Amino acid sequence: MSDPKPKKTAKRINSFKVTQVIISILFLAFLSWRLYTVISSGVYGPDTWVRFAISGLIIGSVYAVIAIGYTLVYGILFMINFAHGEIMMLGAFSGYFVFEALKSIPVASTGMSFLDSYQIISVVLAFIVGMFMSAMSGYFLERIAYRPLRGAPRLIPLISAIGASIFLQNAAQVMFGPKRRTYYNPMSLARSQGWRIPIGGEEVILTYTGALTFVLSLLLLIGLYTLVMRTRYGRSMRAVAEDKQTAALMGINVDQIISNTFLISGALGGAAGVMWGIHNGIIYHYVGFIPGLKAFTAAVLGGIGNIPGAMVGGLLLGIVESVGPAALGLDFQLKDVIAFSILVLILIFRPSGIVGEVLSEEKV
Amino acid sequence: MKDLIKQGSRLGLIFGVVIIFLILFGLTTTLSDILGEFVNIESRTRTGNPAGLMIFFAILSLWAGSKSTSADRSNFKSALISGVSVSLIIALIISALILLVGYLDSIDVSMRDYLAQLDHLSVSFLLYGRELAAGVLITFGIFFVFGILGALLSYWYETKKVGEAIQKQAFILKDKALDSKLAKRYIEHPRAKWIGYGLLGLVILLTPQFLGKYWNYAMGTVGIYVLMGLGLNIVVGLAGLLDLGYVAFFAIGAYTMGLLTTPAPIALQLGFWPVLILSIVFAAFAGILLGIPVLRMRGDYLAIVTLGFGEIIRVLIRSDMMAPYLGGPQGVRDIAGPSLFGLSISSEKSYLYLIIMGILLTILFTNYLQNSRVGRAWMAMREDETVAQAMGINTLYYKLMAFATGAAFAGLGGALFAARNQYTGPADHTLMVSINVLSLLIVGGMGSVPGVIIGAFVLKGLPEILRELELYRLLVFGGLLVYMMIIRPEGIWPAPRRMMELHADEGDGIPPEEGLVGEEG
Repeated sequence: MSDPKPKKTAKRINSFKVTQVIISILFLAFLSWRLYTVISSGVYGPDTWVRFAISGLIIGSVYAVIAIGYTLVYGILFMINFAHGEIMMLGAFSGYFVFEALKSIPVASTGMSFLDSYQIISVVLAFIVGMFMSAMSGYFLERIAYRPLRGAPRLIPLISAIGASIFLQNAAQVMFGPKRRTYYNPMSLARSQGWRIPIGGEEVILTYTGALTFVLSLLLLIGLYTLVMRTRYGRSMRAVAEDKQTAALMGINVDQIISNTFLISGALGGAAGVMWGIHNGIIYHYVGFIPGLKAFTAAVLGGIGNIPGAMVGGLLLGIVESVGPAALGLDFQLKDVIAFSILVLILIFRPSGIVGEVLSEEKV
Repeated sequence: MKDLIKQGSRLGLIFGVVIIFLILFGLTTTLSDILGEFVNIESRTRTGNPAGLMIFFAILSLWAGSKSTSADRSNFKSALISGVSVSLIIALIISALILLVGYLDSIDVSMRDYLAQLDHLSVSFLLYGRELAAGVLITFGIFFVFGILGALLSYWYETKKVGEAIQKQAFILKDKALDSKLAKRYIEHPRAKWIGYGLLGLVILLTPQFLGKYWNYAMGTVGIYVLMGLGLNIVVGLAGLLDLGYVAFFAIGAYTMGLLTTPAPIALQLGFWPVLILSIVFAAFAGILLGIPVLRMRGDYLAIVTLGFGEIIRVLIRSDMMAPYLGGPQGVRDIAGPSLFGLSISSEKSYLYLIIMGILLTILFTNYLQNSRVGRAWMAMREDETVAQAMGINTLYYKLMAFATGAAFAGLGGALFAARNQYTGPADHTLMVSINVLSLLIVGGMGSVPGVIIGAFVLKGLPEILRELELYRLLVFGGLLVYMMIIRPEGIWPAPRRMMELHADEGDGIPPEEGLVGEEG
């Protein structure tokens, strides 16, 4: 094996790596200089930074829950479920309809609506319905748009997924109307209320909706992790992800596992949608698209196919996105630019993500 | 028997759910209007045409009924059983929905707040402008009767072998036509091809003269999409790189044209023609700049990165930070038009000619590239990158070249678009542009020039003709993408090579391996 050719390629890779390292160092130096000037200029007090960090953590936890949906599907089918953001949107709408329905039911004993009288039941109901509807949409999405394409070249399911995404978005627009709707939360989850934390002489509000979102996301993530890593069912899922044919030989019903993966990822998307609605308050037919893209970014950031990676990636992306514009002294309109730049940079310099991809060589 | 009923009810359930969604989308109203116009029955309610709705429902149930007998068509009893079960289920589902909707409407529940298509007028339309009970009964009757009729018709069709007879006749006619001396003399004549091209060219040159202002504008838009489709065709169709951020290059072309020819915000005011060249060059340069880091990635990562790049460009051009240079959300106004040999080009008609010229040039260029060493290298890369590399093709170089060429075409399209509209702004450069171009490529047939033209007409021209369906354009579009991928992934008019690739598995029975398109080795 003393051909000149392998050596040449090795050299090329090396030179690419060297440029990579140099560029990264320059980039990091620029970032830290920028960060230093902004922080030392004292435009933002410590309370503002904490506020940014809190909102970043909350939004990041929602991204993490959506990102898990991408990662699960990618881990098993090696396709980007482009319509996942739309599934989240459907979940958000379902939760909205549950709240609206409960709001219109009067309860005689308290003199208020059902929504305000039995708040915990209402919220639980909204989550259950939202998760159920999204899970069903995910299931049928797979049956209709992806299953017939299994084994086709990679481009084809991706285009089908884009088509499904456009279809769902516009179906929601035509069906529910294009106007923006405000989530009507139960009384104690009013969006302006929360714990007040004094920091540096100022008060920072940690809203109840934010706390609910964050805690619930963590619970969902832990639950999912246990399901995949500790149970027999999770083991069969991982087996299918590793090798479909061998898994089938071991007596695993591959189609069933794939269907159930879409059910689970859909349910997570639905939960994320309801959380998005409760915390952010405004929903419309396009609401799932950008969070979907960002959650995909988060999944890639953590290493796609890797569940803890998606959690880390989601939280990190949320924080960077909310602290980033301020830290770099940029306009807040540009937070999407930061998110997508991270996506591009990660894919260029470290395509396996921070935590690393769980993909065996042959699949890559 | 039990199986038949089970199968029938399942089919009925599917049809029922689909029809429920059609009603919720409001498509029933629109389609029955069109149908009503078609059969020329005057409408009696304000919102729509009840006769059209009845015909629409009847057609749907006929279809469902004829589908139901697919299991066993030759047996009268089984055809009847499955027909009855299908039509009963559909009729029950739809009349239950209409009963519910009608009841809610009669007790003044405003459904419109939640389901935008179900206002009072459209509910009364669903009841054919009659009372609740009458409307529901009519619906039930239509679905039940026509469903069974459909099943019986398909039974008759099958037993009498009508379909086979028709097909046979058609084949005989076709063979006769092709075999006749006349056909042989004209079709196979060496000059027939050129005469055909000449006629086509004449038609293309003359049509803008007969079209009105509106149609010339619409055709101009179709033409610009053809241009961009040809560009993306090189990137996706020939080189197999999925680019979802194609709009970025379109935007670069449009903004170059806008910023360099207008008095504000950058007062350069160059002429049209040099700027046209500049927009093409800038777009190609941006393609190379984006390509260098990005092209080492796996296929679907490439798609996402390019999509992210498109979004970055869009957010940047509408941000306040760049507003002093790029005009911000208001965009760039008063873009100057060109003049050619002293004639100023400003009307829709003359722009259409300009665009047709651009298309002809790009088609010539594409054909030249496709049949050259470069084109062969692209196709080899698309089919198997590792083998292409082993054959001594510098894949990165050729990928960059494909990216730059595609970007240059998009830049040309963008420049023409901006000049024609005399305006360009962030709203012109959304993700939907990229997806539109990709879809026209897919619908038409990847890698083939006629496919691109057909795709552009189907996706951009047809909606202009069916203006009633404007609201449903994107909805149908998304559905069409999924449908095409399942039924005919190679498109309407595919390139012959591509068809071979996509149907390779059908010939030799070896299942294709996962992930072969546009993949980094």
